Amino acid sequence: MRQVWRLLDTGELPAANNMALERVILTARSRNLIPNTLHFLQFSPHCALVGYHQAVDLEVEEQYCREHGIEINRRISGGGSIYMDEGQLGWEIFALKDTPGIPKRLEDMYRLMCESVVTGLAKLGIDARYRPLNDIEVGGRKISGTGGTEMGNSLLYHGTLLTDFDVDTMIACLKLPLKKLEDKQIRSFRERVTCLREVLGHVPPMQEIKKAMEDGFTEVLGVELEPGGLTEYEETFMAEELPKFQSEEWIRGPRASQESNLSVVDHKTPGGLIRVSLRIDPLRQRIKSAFITGDFFAYPERSILDLEAALKNSSSRPTDVLATVRNFFARNDVKIPGVETDDFYHALHLAISAHGPGAATGRGTDAIR
Amino acid sequence: MQREKRAIPDELFYDRNDYWIKVAEEAVIGLTDYGQSNIGDIIYLEFVPAGTVVRRGDRCGSIESGKWVGSLLAPVSGVIMETNRKAEADPSQVNADPLGRGWLYRIELANRNEIGLLMNSGAYKAWMEERIRLEEKDEVTL
Repeated sequence: MRQVWRLLDTGELPAANNMALERVILTARSRNLIPNTLHFLQFSPHCALVGYHQAVDLEVEEQYCREHGIEINRRISGGGSIYMDEGQLGWEIFALKDTPGIPKRLEDMYRLMCESVVTGLAKLGIDARYRPLNDIEVGGRKISGTGGTEMGNSLLYHGTLLTDFDVDTMIACLKLPLKKLEDKQIRSFRERVTCLREVLGHVPPMQEIKKAMEDGFTEVLGVELEPGGLTEYEETFMAEELPKFQSEEWIRGPRASQESNLSVVDHKTPGGLIRVSLRIDPLRQRIKSAFITGDFFAYPERSILDLEAALKNSSSRPTDVLATVRNFFARNDVKIPGVETDDFYHALHLAISAHGPGAATGRGTDAIR
Repeated sequence: MQREKRAIPDELFYDRNDYWIKVAEEAVIGLTDYGQSNIGDIIYLEFVPAGTVVRRGDRCGSIESGKWVGSLLAPVSGVIMETNRKAEADPSQVNADPLGRGWLYRIELANRNEIGLLMNSGAYKAWMEERIRLEEKDEVTL
């Protein structure tokens, strides 16, 4: 007999309410007060959300957000900063970790959850695929990012589905590795994400999108969904938790020491110019995000996007960067005439070294707390 | 999944959340080699402040890898005396040297009887192998 999960749809809510709800539902699940749940959520007004461990001032253009009525908040889950407007659909799974059918190993669990979304998108006629570790893409372009957290015996795994997306506002409100780039490169960045409107030529009604997602989850997870609302416990706990998630202490509370520096470098090769734009945390020796453009020709075209995904959150130590780049090209059949594998390493190393020796050795300066 | 040989020193105690516990006058806590490899590349690590009183199973910090925020759970009750600030600043130390430079925190034990609830190296090895077996079963099912 199939397990019955709750289908919860709380509609459009402010960021603090949605963030508090995640804590509330996860707590309720870990105390065995509710069944496993698929939750749909939407945001209004629009907002910028940082990951649990991130520092708001390093990730968000706060003045721009203030001027444009964009709320700022912090997720309880991991990952990077995101922009959510009314045109996006959030989905999340709250489940006991030992639920039959949910893999124990995180990577396997990510794959299963993302395959549910891929299956849902197929119902809308979209040929999507899972891109390890946590993304879902269409033709190499990201359409859904995911992340998660846990509490005791329970997990929360969630993601966003871009239905109709305002890329300009996202670029303006988040500190992305684009600030020093020209229009041509920024256009190239836009091509890294896509949305239902772009893929289908229109945005299907939200109910149709939700139904497709429901079908994807029920099919892949082998469960049944029964619509339900918040329980009395959840409502009461929500009233208690909301002030915390509205507080500056939660949103901007002290985080572990970290930095975020941006550098853009060019590296000439016989096959063309490689331009690398990196956001680096020299203190923690991490590449936070990488954006690679240039006038070289890569086959398949999507391979550079995959390389960027492989570099995200990877070590910025020279030997590790070299290993990441070489492993990537060893595992993928990529052809770039006139460009050697190590050219990418040289370009990346140049960008990392632009921050001084600390970027590669961990002796960063100007740490914030 | 490739089975790799994991270091499980005999002189340490272990719990089911993949922590090692070195017991002397105080206890030092860290993640086991298997635990860190399961978590993957650790990006952030945060501890509760030194001086915090924790009960066995309480959350005493957070750990992030692959967009996943996990909880650091105390394997024994006591007072956190010191956290590894170097590992907090550079969590890759936990991946690189989980039994050495990547230790997590020191704790003054509140109840030494709790040591009896921990596993020795042989029991932990059996526990770890059982979990690997279940993970491999998942892999086949997927």
